[in-house]
Amino acid sequence: MSTHTPVSPELVAQLGHFGALPLSKERLSVVAPLLDAWLKDANQLSEKMSAAQHQTLVPATVFAHPGNHEGEGAA
Amino acid sequence: MNTPSELLELSLTQAAALVKSRKVSPVELVDASLARIARIDGDLHAYISVYEQAREVAKAADIMQAAGHDLGPLHGIPIALKDNIALKGLRTTAGSKVLSDWLPDHDATIASRLRASGAIFVGKLNMHEFAWGGTSDNPHYGAVKNPWDTTRFPAGSSGGSGVAVAARTCWGAIGTDTGGSIRLPSAINGIVGIRPTYGRVSNHGIIPLAWSMDTAGPMTRTVEDCALMFGTMAGHDPKDPTTAKVPVSDYMAGLKHGVKGLRIGVVPGYFFHHLQAPVEKAVRQALSTFEQLGAQLVEVDIHNIHGNISAQLTIESCEPSTYHQRWLRERPQDYGEDVRTLLEVGEMLLATHYLQAQRYRTLLRQEFMDAFAKVDVFICPTLPFTATPLGDMKVVIENGVEEDMLSAIMQYTGVPSLTGLPSLSVPCGFDTDGLPVGMQIIGKPFDEATLFRAGAAFQSVTDFHLKAPPV
Repeated sequence: MSTHTPVSPELVAQLGHFGALPLSKERLSVVAPLLDAWLKDANQLSEKMSAAQHQTLVPATVFAHPGNHEGEGAA
Repeated sequence: MNTPSELLELSLTQAAALVKSRKVSPVELVDASLARIARIDGDLHAYISVYEQAREVAKAADIMQAAGHDLGPLHGIPIALKDNIALKGLRTTAGSKVLSDWLPDHDATIASRLRASGAIFVGKLNMHEFAWGGTSDNPHYGAVKNPWDTTRFPAGSSGGSGVAVAARTCWGAIGTDTGGSIRLPSAINGIVGIRPTYGRVSNHGIIPLAWSMDTAGPMTRTVEDCALMFGTMAGHDPKDPTTAKVPVSDYMAGLKHGVKGLRIGVVPGYFFHHLQAPVEKAVRQALSTFEQLGAQLVEVDIHNIHGNISAQLTIESCEPSTYHQRWLRERPQDYGEDVRTLLEVGEMLLATHYLQAQRYRTLLRQEFMDAFAKVDVFICPTLPFTATPLGDMKVVIENGVEEDMLSAIMQYTGVPSLTGLPSLSVPCGFDTDGLPVGMQIIGKPFDEATLFRAGAAFQSVTDFHLKAPPV
């Protein structure tokens, strides 16, 4: 699953287009190497988290706080 | 009669006791603080705003006390706030040009609580722009300098807070911590700082970085001071729905109870892997000290701990890029180069990357919660290196290999940030250049009291926290 093609300025331009974020040529060149490094690691993490033993895990966007969901303290 | 220099050397708790007994007045403390800021901050750049009007507040505090009105444990104590914390009618920049003239119409909840406990605000502190970075090399308000060696960085993002306290310009400061921004400058500047349990302290009125990890907490010279300040800030806030309705402990009560029988977890394959030798030596020595005090070391395997830095960077980039989306399009030139780049990168990651990182948090948190059946706290370095030269964006940790600063600096602080666990940074040594080393004590959710107890026990037999920088 984990294949990595280096991120080029052209690819950054396309990704920027998806998010309506136009970037100058100079900015494309600045963003590309950092995005390349981070995407590689992010894809590795995605591969790890896609494993069958993790299938039931849900995102921890906000932690549940004890006391907020029961009795007088219910949120 | 104490001289201003003698007053500035007092701990917060000592100063508060002297104010309470009327041996020192709030006016004396504020005068000493403002004079010290005027004398040394031109070089350190720890402050963005300094409040001369604090002298009038101090006079009022003096009058109130004479009339029998004690506002609380911080009555008359000069405190400074990181400049991403709103104060009504006072410029709050978040270290940015974007908010350079923003005057909030409200106080942050923690500012209100500190004021209600008697604190006097002497200024707002410099920081990494919008808290998105770990160097506090601020392009708009000047690079914050480390008081132990002004050619070195103070870490960040709460660099001004760390420097202001270490340099004895105030008795305590407030920082904010998303990926390590309280603990890193605390360690690098040789002071104490706590990242609370997520949900323990209100974020209302604080400019966000990453909503799902943002916290605020005190930074002080001693653990006792930190516990005292923390007790005034903690607790549920109806204005912040992420705060928990969990009772606030008396954090001062257990400070002298020691650590006999405390079970300290160590993850050998991660906590002492890939770090500078002086840092490892200092933290291992600290663990020995805890053993001598009666604590027990327990080796624990956190199987999924590797991968935490990528999860941290993914979440800490996607959430700020969402908050900054409009400004990044309307006024990109008003951001510093590094923060602008990070915000642009954060727009390029996919929703699946973000959500897989959030799922990883669940996995990591569960592993730590399971491990707490066997241990009471974990102890590791706060960061794997000591202060680097100002302006460096690379760091050498071992074998002469240069690494990206942002990833390297969060090697240990990312774990509590992702899991929501509380974490206290405590000074535990110095490297061969005399630069401070900090250790991180990580605890169970809402068990900050145990962190303070452990930290206070350590400081009762060590003197790292008593040493002052040469500024």
